[in-house]
Amino acid sequence: MKTLLINTLLTISLLASAPLLAQEGPLRVGMSGQYFPFTFVEQDELKGFDVDVMNAIGEEMGREIQYETANFSGLFGMLESGRIDTVANQITITEERQKAYIFSDPYVYDGAQVVTKKGNTEVESVEDLKGKTVAVNLGSNFEALLRELPYADQIDIKTYESNLERDTALGRVDAFVMDRVSASQIIKEKPLPLELAGPTFSQITNAYPFRDTEAGRALRDEVNQALATLRDNGTLASISEKWFGTDITQP
Amino acid sequence: MDVLNVDYMLGLVPVLLTYLPLTLQLAGVGMVLALILACLFAVVRVLRIPVLNQLTIVFISFFRGTPLLVQLFLFYYGLPQLVSALTVIDGITATIMGLTMHFSAYMAESIRAAIVGVDRSQTEAALSIGMTNGQLMRRIVLPQATRVALPTLMNYFIDMIKATSLAFTLGVTELMGATQKEAAGSFLYFEAFIVAAIMYWIVVEMLSKLQHYLEIRLNKAYSR
Repeated sequence: MKTLLINTLLTISLLASAPLLAQEGPLRVGMSGQYFPFTFVEQDELKGFDVDVMNAIGEEMGREIQYETANFSGLFGMLESGRIDTVANQITITEERQKAYIFSDPYVYDGAQVVTKKGNTEVESVEDLKGKTVAVNLGSNFEALLRELPYADQIDIKTYESNLERDTALGRVDAFVMDRVSASQIIKEKPLPLELAGPTFSQITNAYPFRDTEAGRALRDEVNQALATLRDNGTLASISEKWFGTDITQP
Repeated sequence: MDVLNVDYMLGLVPVLLTYLPLTLQLAGVGMVLALILACLFAVVRVLRIPVLNQLTIVFISFFRGTPLLVQLFLFYYGLPQLVSALTVIDGITATIMGLTMHFSAYMAESIRAAIVGVDRSQTEAALSIGMTNGQLMRRIVLPQATRVALPTLMNYFIDMIKATSLAFTLGVTELMGATQKEAAGSFLYFEAFIVAAIMYWIVVEMLSKLQHYLEIRLNKAYSR
């Protein structure tokens, strides 16, 4: 409590001198910690595909990685306000996001997947979503993908901060849309009665976003270099094999 | 699936307990600062100090009239956009700032009501025997007002403890944030959140006991 008060006072006194502080600290990476199996927590330990890949990038760059977890809806605000340097949370490259941020090379290639409660015969493909209630994660790219469908106005899209898998299993919504890789993983490993409905309906590529500033661009180039090395020496593929039993880092 | 996974819940208790101190710190520091601020506001309002009174009215109106989450986003994401140096406001500081200002606005009004509620004859009696304004406040009005304000202030403190669960949106992993991440790893939502709920409940229950004890003490002069 005392330290907090001192912290608060220090913060206020630091306001003036802040811009003078050195840049080269650990690489600050934001993630939700709520996106199995990319980023999640078990017994207080942050784990997942995105953690492993980022750690490998940090090793390659010779920089320590400092993870900052926050609700997904807060991550881009943290990036925007300079509190983190990038987001490692399967961020899909979209036109909208490219207007605001610059992206590294993609490190995951995937597709959008409809998932329903086990035994649901009404929804067997993306076309069947007409007139149905569909859950997506708040701020995720899947909402935009659904809205691009020609019959988008007939879909009732519900956005979730988290726990949409559970609500689908409970039957509160007819389906949810997520990337195929993590959807398959959830069905395989978690005790929820869910199934994939039909094939994927859109290609997506995921990468790391950076602020469009000089420092951001330099960092992006460094990360790209590390990614290329990790791709060439097979590290990316082996991390992917470990989590998914298949290589999702190739197109 | 249908049965509660008790082993998982028991395993989660020590993990989540390590995040409870941060939750209590956020609310504790927030409460102390909010009380100080609220007392100042209440005095300004009761004495109708020119200019300050009007500013206080606007402050209270804004912080009572907008959601806490909106205020937290303003402090944490909004301010650095205006002044980039304000990025040094970390999640914990922003949360404490938000809790302090939000709850001080509510508390100022209940403290003001408690002060105004002290019978006018008490003030007149005190002045008639030559007490100064300061003595009047310290010896006569505030002790009586404290007794009236205590239950509502305790209510706000309890509310504040639960409001800290918004901090994870600012990247502060407190009890709720830790629970959300654990639930995402295990998909055992009911188990994870019931453990967190019981922890909040126990804390609040202990505070209720404290309130009960304080009320008995403050009521001594009134019991017969």
